[in-house]
Amino acid sequence: MSNLAQARLHEERKNWRKDHPFGFYAKPVKAADGTMNIMLWEVGIPGKTGTIWEGGLYKVMMTFPDEFPTKPPKCKFDPPLFHPNVYPSGTICLSILDEEKNWKPSITIKQIVLGVQDLLDNPNIGDPAQIDAYQMYKNDKNAYEKRVKQQAVERRQK
Amino acid sequence: MPRSSYTKSLLGPELYQKVRKTKILVVGAGGIGCELLKNLVLVGFANIEIIDLDTIDLSNLNRQFLFRKPDISKPKALVAAATARHFNPTSGIDIHARHGNVKDSVNDLEWIKGFGLVMNALDNMDARRHVNKLCQAANVPLIESGTAGYLGQVTPIIKDKTECFDCVVKPAPKSFPVCTIRSTPSEPIHCIVWGKTYLFGKLFGEDDEDMDTEELDKAKAGGENAEEIENLKKEAAAFREVRKNLGGEDGPQRVFHKVFNEDINRLLAMEDMWKKEGRVKPVPLEYEGIMNESFATPPLRQAAAQQPNVNGQAQTNGNGTEKKKGLKDQRELSLKENLELFIDSCKRLSARAIAYPDIPLSFDKDDADTLDFVLATANLRATAYGIANKTRFEVKEMAGNIIPAIATTNAIIAGLIVMQSLNILRQLPSLSSSSSSEASTSAGPAIRSVFLRTDPIKPLGHSIPAKADPECSVCRDVYIPLKVDLARCTLGTFVNDIVKTWLAEAEFEGREEDDEEVVEWTIFEGGRLLADPDFDDNFERTLEDLDVKRGKMLTARDEDGKYRPVHFSICEGDSQASIPYSLPSTPPLIPLLPAKPATREPSEEITILDSMPPATSTSVSEVTPISSNTAVGTKRSAPDDGDVKDATAEEEQTKKKRKVVVVDEDDDFEIL
Repeated sequence: MSNLAQARLHEERKNWRKDHPFGFYAKPVKAADGTMNIMLWEVGIPGKTGTIWEGGLYKVMMTFPDEFPTKPPKCKFDPPLFHPNVYPSGTICLSILDEEKNWKPSITIKQIVLGVQDLLDNPNIGDPAQIDAYQMYKNDKNAYEKRVKQQAVERRQK
Repeated sequence: MPRSSYTKSLLGPELYQKVRKTKILVVGAGGIGCELLKNLVLVGFANIEIIDLDTIDLSNLNRQFLFRKPDISKPKALVAAATARHFNPTSGIDIHARHGNVKDSVNDLEWIKGFGLVMNALDNMDARRHVNKLCQAANVPLIESGTAGYLGQVTPIIKDKTECFDCVVKPAPKSFPVCTIRSTPSEPIHCIVWGKTYLFGKLFGEDDEDMDTEELDKAKAGGENAEEIENLKKEAAAFREVRKNLGGEDGPQRVFHKVFNEDINRLLAMEDMWKKEGRVKPVPLEYEGIMNESFATPPLRQAAAQQPNVNGQAQTNGNGTEKKKGLKDQRELSLKENLELFIDSCKRLSARAIAYPDIPLSFDKDDADTLDFVLATANLRATAYGIANKTRFEVKEMAGNIIPAIATTNAIIAGLIVMQSLNILRQLPSLSSSSSSEASTSAGPAIRSVFLRTDPIKPLGHSIPAKADPECSVCRDVYIPLKVDLARCTLGTFVNDIVKTWLAEAEFEGREEDDEEVVEWTIFEGGRLLADPDFDDNFERTLEDLDVKRGKMLTARDEDGKYRPVHFSICEGDSQASIPYSLPSTPPLIPLLPAKPATREPSEEITILDSMPPATSTSVSEVTPISSNTAVGTKRSAPDDGDVKDATAEEEQTKKKRKVVVVDEDDDFEIL
């Protein structure tokens, strides 16, 4: 990994500890060898209050490439999430996480998690990533909402 | 008359002495490396180490002329040295050849310090970065080089005098968003990447069944929606089913139907996906229809359909009842031929997978079966999406990330490396006496970055190497060699005795004499965080136990982000000494980090070419041949504006031409 990625992730960690949005968490994962892996973070994203996502705390794994911050981290819901813009594998399809689209090296972890939180209740229907959630969202909003609420209960904050 | 007489009188006795005595490291014995080694030997360099991890391949022989057919699959460095050794019968030429990776742990800071000058002849960014960092840490001059087709450059890198390799942000290798590859390809390369990485992996790559199932079961046990998990399992199982049946008679046909018909229908069902501007709905392909030629080929989309191919020939569209004459590989296949090739290559690959179940297949541009598979799948997918097809020749180049390598370019660049090496040696202190007189070191042509361009009138441009970027996270950091017995030194010893005690004695820039500031440190090793002020769990463990190896760096970063980080470069320690580590007698000066603007908007344009002069308008002027008259070296003429303009225009033009430029002298650069 480059000095630059190391420096930047050190800074991100510091900044997150100093200040982060309420209800979220973000931390490098403890590796099997007892050290912390700063290239892999576990992040918890709460559903916004007043939305059908409320009450759930959705776990996302953020994998930072060696070329970070030139390249964006890969963000994956773990376990995968029922959401039109989440691939069956859990990978999130979001423009600020796409180096061809809106990724900029200055985007912080805080901005990413807020962006993902926002995506939960504002799916981008032009870029569907899984057929189940997409079709239910399109054809049967009631069933969709029910399913999402059920998911929120299953992923209740412990 | 001895062979060296002319060289001696050309270079002068002092420089010739340096040429004979200075220990040179050549990293890479490929396209540039072979040329370079020959040049070095002929000039009379007599103390050379050459390292390369690669073995000789048939495709190297057209330009790596130190190798012959019987040498195929032998280590490059060893053969290169054995061949070049005899080019100069002057006595005492010593070439130490090593077959290994420059990143191996034995190649630590102490090792690189043993050289007077390092020359890179590499083909990848990662190794270039590594050697650059080592040379910065050890304060050894480096000459960096690279070629791509007709272009090339030579860049001297000298600590504190010039910018380093990482001062200028290099474009990251291009990759494509998942969505584009999986669902909405719009260019031939998207289809090629899909065939090469996604479908190939699914069908012939390592089977990740165990991991998949295990992960999903765990999720289920964790109280996840059981139905959803079952669905995901089903999807994974569907592919596995297809994979299992691949060896059967109609296996490939089933794959075809799943991938080019069912999956496309599934994507079509997501209607909104196709409402976005610029997206074109794919058309599911039908096996029978294509085979009996009743299938109507979907029309080509408008954009990007007509691009001249690499050879500048016009491309025939579509699905060629019209077949071009010429080389077999440069002919476009018809839709039916692509389908037949798909079926055939699937059969060939699955036969291999069955015969050698333990060896997972991987794409290799020189492996005809895998190339045929990628060629056929890419073209079938392209046809379904209304994207222009590509020939076998083009797919090979695109899928294999082949950067054209031209022997002549390599030879020119290797010659320029030697010229710049003489310029650098001339400025190094004399070897014979420690009292080097200023006069004898400053004469001679100045050190220059040199660029080989495609302008036939002025093929060479040069520039004064730019100054280091004060924000560079490689060359502005502090490096300290740490000789340590890893089996005896604990992390606690490192943090308490070395960082908190020894380093605390260092002079910190901007700190007053009586300042009692206590700096708190976080310790990293690469991507691992070993300790911070609240994390001392590993203090009792030895560095060896923590897998901190020779050649790696332990980095101390202060919590406030005020000072430059300090990298301790791990070298072999003395296992007999009473203290398990040894450090330089005096701690270094720790500079402040440059103050950061509150929100730093990084420049949007980071597509600076590796091969071109830095974007900062350094002067570029015509190259004057290095004067043979060394006694009174002539200063280069001042650059004139005309030349500067020329170079910029050239740069822009090249930028447009090659959007993804990575300067590599060889062909193995990974795009994805």
